[in-house]
Amino acid sequence: MTAKRDVAIVGIHATPQRRRMGKTVIGLMMESLNGSLDDAGLQMSDVDALIAYDFPAGNGEGATDGNVAWQLKQPINFVWQQSGASAVLTGAALIRDGLAEVVVIPAAGAQATDTEATAAYTRPGYEFTEWTGSITPAQFALQARRHMHLYGSTVDDFAYAASTIRNNAHINPEAMMFSRGPYTPADILKARMVADPLTLLMCSLTNDGASCIVLTSAERARYCRKAPVWVLGGAMESRKTSYLEAPSLDIINSRDKMMRGFERLGVRHEDTDMVMIYDHFAHSVQVQMEALGFCKPGEGGAYIREVMGLDQKHPVCPDGGNQGYSHNMIPYNFKIIEIVKQMRNEIIDLCPQSAEGIHTYDRSICRKVRDPKLSVACGPMTEGRHSFVLLEKN
Amino acid sequence: MHAASEPTETMMAGQIPLPVPSKMTEPFWAGMRQNKLLLQRCKTCNAYRWTPQVLCRDCYSEDYEWSEVSGKGTVFSYTVVHRPPLPAFKAPYIVAVIELAEGPLMLTNVIDCDPAALKVGDKVKVAFEKATDEVTLYRFRLA
Repeated sequence: MTAKRDVAIVGIHATPQRRRMGKTVIGLMMESLNGSLDDAGLQMSDVDALIAYDFPAGNGEGATDGNVAWQLKQPINFVWQQSGASAVLTGAALIRDGLAEVVVIPAAGAQATDTEATAAYTRPGYEFTEWTGSITPAQFALQARRHMHLYGSTVDDFAYAASTIRNNAHINPEAMMFSRGPYTPADILKARMVADPLTLLMCSLTNDGASCIVLTSAERARYCRKAPVWVLGGAMESRKTSYLEAPSLDIINSRDKMMRGFERLGVRHEDTDMVMIYDHFAHSVQVQMEALGFCKPGEGGAYIREVMGLDQKHPVCPDGGNQGYSHNMIPYNFKIIEIVKQMRNEIIDLCPQSAEGIHTYDRSICRKVRDPKLSVACGPMTEGRHSFVLLEKN
Repeated sequence: MHAASEPTETMMAGQIPLPVPSKMTEPFWAGMRQNKLLLQRCKTCNAYRWTPQVLCRDCYSEDYEWSEVSGKGTVFSYTVVHRPPLPAFKAPYIVAVIELAEGPLMLTNVIDCDPAALKVGDKVKVAFEKATDEVTLYRFRLA
């Protein structure tokens, strides 16, 4: 491995994830931002860069450098609109080049007064989309169908992935879908059809909640409260704006870029353990395994059955994912936070002493991954934007 | 070669959210009112593009014309939606991506078709649907 340990995740936080919490988006965001700084042993005055899709505060300008600096009443070196793995990669690059020292990556979502079931950005009032009735799941059902056509994936593959991930949520007391299973693949297939071939239980949740990640340099990490989790690097590539351009399974076309990310770091896929797939819809598990280069296009259906379980080679979404843990409109950070929690041994499940970090590995109650050391977090990883970051235990 | 499909009114178009043209896209919707499917075509390299873009995606030229296309294509992918965003969308209905004969992919609906019979690769042809005096929509039917 050629990657350097020069940038670390030193703080994480997630609020409770619930429906209609009655809080504002900025209220939730600040709760998580403060929580993550506290986790790191840092203060707001230490922050010199912020990366978030939105910053609904200040004068209404959103996540711009001037607006964030003025609202926080402190200088800010850099503000950018990203989230999840893409934000971590960008923040790490800033830190490596000395342009920032403490980068915060907050993300929050809340359903306002309406009862809409999906994030507003997934249903734009675009003149060539809206009138077709192309609901959010339809956009990705089109992607799934194309994959079925080209590569022979099946609804049984999708149901296998959804049941595996949802069964992790079933034993995660912090998950939206805690204690709502267990599920068999047949249960997934029997659920109400939303957009053929995707049933309700193959789709993401919608709920409120916030999260935040704090990055800093290796030097600064030595003075933080907890052991660092190292940001080794990754890859990112954009191809289109989802929901505006027609879905075309473009994610598979990013495969070379993703594989070069592994090569650049000197990391072989087989050396990694957990893979936090951006599991917004059930077919995404096998499609992203293919796009990341874990297997060839078309092999994903068989591959996930060999690897995605908690005791298999590459456990996927032990938190329950977007489908079972949380989809708070901006859920990308959760992919990273779960890896950090697993590496720190801070995850909660139904093991009697899980709060003390003692786990039974009885899979009816335990979702702890055995000693994760080198893990992959995806996201955004959809149709327009594709990225992953590799994280290493200290 | 002109698209000559009869207008249809199958999806209660008057009650669904209708497109609001921009300055760039007004000629497209003017074409729709005459039952013509127009795409931007680059005057420098002749490439078609969809959705409407300021520059040619192939040679980045600003110069283009709205050019009538065949209205023919094949089903690139499709889904049957069972949970409509508004009651005006009468579920189940088919949302599809059509690969136009001229190349670009177009998000639309396939109408007057048994969802169980539809396949990727099926040939389709544009069907114009007058929603209001200002707006005519483009959907597709099996050819």
